[in-house]
Amino acid sequence: MVDLSVQLGPLRLDHPVINASGTMEIFELAETFGPHVLERPPVAAYVSKTVTLKPRAGNPPPRILETAGGMINAIGLSGPGLDVFVKEDLPRLLGLPCPLIISIGGFSTGEYEVIAGRLQEALEQLVGEGWIERAGLELNISCPNVHSGCASIGSDTHETGELVKTIRKRWPGLLVVKLTPNVADIAAVGRAAVSAGADAIAAVNTYKGLVVDRVSLRPYLGNITGGLSGPAIKPLALRSVYELFDAVEAPIIGMGGIATVEDVLEFMSCGALVVAVGSAGFRDPGLAGVLAHQLAVALDTRGLTRAGLLGLAHRPV
Amino acid sequence: MKDGSNDTIEEAHWASDYRMLGSVLNNEPQGLMARLEVEVPGWRSAEPGQFALLQAGSSRCFLARAVSVADEVGARVSFLIAPVGEGTRELCALNGGDMVWVVGPLGRGFDVDALVISRGRAVIVAGGAGVAPFPLLLARMARRHRALFSRPVGEGPGGPQASTLEVLVLLGFRDALQAEASTLLREVAALACESGLRCRVEVAIEDGLRGPAEKVTDLLIRHLRSGDRVAVCGPTPMAEAVWSICASKPDVRAWFSLETGMACGVGSCHGCLITLADGSDARVCKDGPVFLGEAVFGG
Ligand SMILES: Cc1cc2nc3c(=O)[nH]c(=O)nc-3n(C[C@H](O)[C@H](O)[C@H](O)COP(=O)(O)OP(=O)(O)OC[C@H]3O[C@@H](n4cnc5c(N)ncnc54)[C@H](O)[C@@H]3O)c2cc1C
Ligand SMILES: Cc1cc2nc3c(=O)[nH]c(=O)nc-3n(C[C@H](O)[C@H](O)[C@H](O)COP(=O)(O)O)c2cc1C
Ligand code: FES
Repeated sequence: MVDLSVQLGPLRLDHPVINASGTMEIFELAETFGPHVLERPPVAAYVSKTVTLKPRAGNPPPRILETAGGMINAIGLSGPGLDVFVKEDLPRLLGLPCPLIISIGGFSTGEYEVIAGRLQEALEQLVGEGWIERAGLELNISCPNVHSGCASIGSDTHETGELVKTIRKRWPGLLVVKLTPNVADIAAVGRAAVSAGADAIAAVNTYKGLVVDRVSLRPYLGNITGGLSGPAIKPLALRSVYELFDAVEAPIIGMGGIATVEDVLEFMSCGALVVAVGSAGFRDPGLAGVLAHQLAVALDTRGLTRAGLLGLAHRPV
Repeated sequence: MKDGSNDTIEEAHWASDYRMLGSVLNNEPQGLMARLEVEVPGWRSAEPGQFALLQAGSSRCFLARAVSVADEVGARVSFLIAPVGEGTRELCALNGGDMVWVVGPLGRGFDVDALVISRGRAVIVAGGAGVAPFPLLLARMARRHRALFSRPVGEGPGGPQASTLEVLVLLGFRDALQAEASTLLREVAALACESGLRCRVEVAIEDGLRGPAEKVTDLLIRHLRSGDRVAVCGPTPMAEAVWSICASKPDVRAWFSLETGMACGVGSCHGCLITLADGSDARVCKDGPVFLGEAVFGG
């Protein structure tokens, strides 16, 4: 069988399929499906839901709805905040047999800095020096469902550059920057992030959208707008990954509508080193593991290697 | 993997730790609802009130749909489904031999002991498709009651103890056709009576064409007594009305199975969050779908 392992900065992944932030609560899965979830996670690295400095209630309901070929959500980065994450979640997450990527979100550069600092301290304490091979950081500068910070940083090349520079100075581990596709030129933002020191780019977050309540003909979501995900956005996401591959040297974590092994092949061909399963995992929580196995079969069948597939779409036939 | 069907088998093999591929044994109309009987290899026994995420094997929808477990015999699981939109219509249109994806059982169900071990009566209140979880609840109440209170003949004072548990099943439907969705529940109620429960079913029909125009809440107002234990499932306005009736009587406890939009059903997406009476958040899929009335509606 084909060797699927990948090196993502200092993190070693057994295969290139991980989860998209905010779409998999691994301890909840273990409660429902059993301890095998934690012993043999379906993902090669576990990405946390975006952690914010303070506890956040999130947006008013309704917060999700299925749409043609996908879904829209306006969760709004709800969660118990950094203190609870560091105390309760982090020690357990470090017990997983795969690397951890901690997604963080802030409303100012200062907030991202505080969170990164606290995480670094906690990781040094919990793991010791080797933590850099166990855990990385993902800067979510792309959530469309909060009204300041976050996505507004990610839609500006200058702000993105400044934020990444600041975090890069203090964070020695893997630094991923997750981009919003709700910009005119995603490649420019990616370039700004990488020249400021990002090790990898994650693309894409959800597309800002709106659904109308078919009875009242008013916006359906409590937050009015939400983020569109699922197969409906795949061609848009593929274009982003394709452009980013041309624009930056750094590895790309590709996502947006991945539901089948064909989708995985397409994202890798456009330039994704690693792929992430998001909303399609809602109908099958084991999907990432299924896709990893199917990828090995598909590469074998086509006589391709992972390296040969990477960026194939950019090369002449 | 040359064609679609092989694809499905491949997926089923790899997905078996999380998502199971069931095959439809039978689809029988019950009024406007369908009773779908599915053989689900790997199915773990459900608590009454738990649900599964179902998606037709050939679905055009992106996500699966939450459906209560209506009954189960080993790996043969029954669901009662009302066709309200594309996802449920696909499920209602399945035929014997068709494949269906199943994730479950999920969530926290009804507290059978609280309903069975009580000095009051157990009252089941359902509106429309809310009838779905109650055949399994009633079957489990009968089983638990038997396990707790009956002794083999000749043992203990007086052989099998006379049944003391009275169960009142109150159902509301819009019209007589929809009321046929109570067929499975009536079958289970008859069995429960044979096994010692004193079980009575009353149905309110709202259109008044063949009798008095009544709502299930009218039945509840007529019958509810202090000390009763109540299990409720139905549309939100009905549930709220039921709660205010229950709250007006002393020493009545009521549990509600709630419905919200869901994407994942397992606590991953935070889409089903509700705010409880004390201001805290709960996920309907993981912390529920069954909640105590006070917790949801306040004291
Ligand atoms: C725990 C639980 C258990 C359940 N058990 C059962 C059961 O046993 N049997 C059963 O029949 N049902 C059950 N349901 C309900 C069932 O899950 C829903 O009826 C189903 O998800 C509907 O999916 P659909 O695709 O058929 O309809 P959809 O088209 O998805 O519609 C679903 C609901 O969303 C609303 N909606 C969708 N789009 C819009 C829009 N643009 N504007 C306004 N409103 C919109 C609709 O009015 C409808 O009420 C249960 C639900 C939960 C949460
Ligand atoms: C319910 C939901 C919650 C999400 N929460 C987060 C989050 O906390 N942080 C983040 O960076 N992205 C979040 N996302 C975006 C996903 O990580 C992913 O970028 C996006 O959904 C596109 O992938 P998909 O089409 O495979 O879902 C969320 C998406 C969904 C559907
Ligand atoms: S439906 Fe996803 S958390 Fe409840």
